[in-house]
Amino acid sequence: MENNFIPLQIDFNKNKALVKRYAVKWTPTIIILDPEGEEHHRFVGYLPPEDFIAQIILGKGKVEFNLDRFEQAIQCFQEILARYPKADAAPEAQYYLGVAKYKASHDPKQLKLGLEVLQKDYPNSEWTKKAQVYSLIPG
Amino acid sequence: MGKQIQWETSLTTAKANAKKGKKLILMDFYNNL
Repeated sequence: MENNFIPLQIDFNKNKALVKRYAVKWTPTIIILDPEGEEHHRFVGYLPPEDFIAQIILGKGKVEFNLDRFEQAIQCFQEILARYPKADAAPEAQYYLGVAKYKASHDPKQLKLGLEVLQKDYPNSEWTKKAQVYSLIPG
Repeated sequence: MGKQIQWETSLTTAKANAKKGKKLILMDFYNNL
């Protein structure tokens, strides 16, 4: 983890300015920030180790995605799906994998291919519902 | 044995170190009940 992140602990009761700035209402709240302090991903509550790690990788992937570094984002999303396919973060990773591939290639079929994997591997996920509209893409 | 995590406690320091090391920041809000 320390290869990719600076770990920062903030005492909820002693740092009211940061609690307010990041609108934290409950602990633990984990937020992934870029070096400028901009938020890209958060989750609340204790998670088993595999789900925790998957969320952290998802956060890194979302930073890369939001900064238009799509190839790096794709690597993060693929890592989650390869190593933690049963994690709660996996369907979201699959969703963003399709979107990142589309952004990298400008090929809308990537969105449809992403939906097909979601339908097969995560049929009951909210992310499959969110991707449903891509079924209308021709081809 | 896992390596002990060296937690920062200052966002300003964390941002400086993140920029220097080209890393991201994992910010954990905790509460000692």
